[in-house]
Amino acid sequence: MNETVFALVSEYGAYVIFASAFLSCLALPIPTSLMMLSGGAFIVAGDLAAAPVVLAAFGGAVLGDQTGFLIGRYGGAPVIDRIARSPARRAVLTRARVLVNRHGMFGVFFSTWLVAPLGPWVNFVAGATGLTWVRFAISDILGEAIWVSLYVGLGYGFASQIDTIATLMGNIVGLLAALSAAGAMALWIRAVLRAGRVRHH
Amino acid sequence: MVSFLKRIWTAAPIATVILGIAMAIAVVFSIRLVAFWIYWADPNHRDQTVAAWMTPGYIAYSWDIPRPVILEALTGSTPRPGRPMSLDELAEMNGIRVEDLIAATEAAIAGHRQSGAGARP
Repeated sequence: MNETVFALVSEYGAYVIFASAFLSCLALPIPTSLMMLSGGAFIVAGDLAAAPVVLAAFGGAVLGDQTGFLIGRYGGAPVIDRIARSPARRAVLTRARVLVNRHGMFGVFFSTWLVAPLGPWVNFVAGATGLTWVRFAISDILGEAIWVSLYVGLGYGFASQIDTIATLMGNIVGLLAALSAAGAMALWIRAVLRAGRVRHH
Repeated sequence: MVSFLKRIWTAAPIATVILGIAMAIAVVFSIRLVAFWIYWADPNHRDQTVAAWMTPGYIAYSWDIPRPVILEALTGSTPRPGRPMSLDELAEMNGIRVEDLIAATEAAIAGHRQSGAGARP
């Protein structure tokens, strides 16, 4: 699959990087990290100019995140209300909301690059649970700047090994994302159990 | 263990399912990382081979060969200026097989290295 992505980038350059960054921030399974890696490699090979590649990736990602946040804000609130129908869940959600407002910036920040597969979901949740837009935007822009420089930079620095780097990064980030999701679910389950216990007293 | 699973299942069924899936995915990625590590440990597996998606510029850079040497190997299929083209596209544009183009490129790399100029292990 790596090679198909590389071929797309060599054929369509910054346009395909922009589109894929935008769409992958809306939870479409598109390997944008791969696109940025190959973008970096084509920059150092003299086939693509640096500015369009970096701007396309960054612009696409930030616009995609903003769209996801808005979808969460205007489409997600009713869903959250439905989830909150059970008292135990409502208690946990209230705690989650407090947590999102207090620590949401960290969540958004790391979900844009370190555990990028979780990014779109964090955007929806941040929008739906009412994280302030300014806080969302600041951590999102900082995180995406790291995401783009990390992958374009790796592609640039290890151009002759992008296939290897792509496989390696894919597995590491996949593992981190899976572990984070498992950790989040463990916290949620623990909170529900506690809320249930409190209710029984 | 079973009673614990039952307890979390009754408390939060959806979260329990997601937890299980996430843990399974984590195991899959761990196995893939180890498999990759073992594969990578063999130096023979480290060399990149010329592929259809590569552009002449990328090949020149990756194999540390001057651009003209690569372009010469692709005679008759000079890329249009202003836009990079992969070997695949070049082959299609010129009505030749991409395998031939790859073979010609590999021969040019080997020839250039043998001539001693810019040799790299």
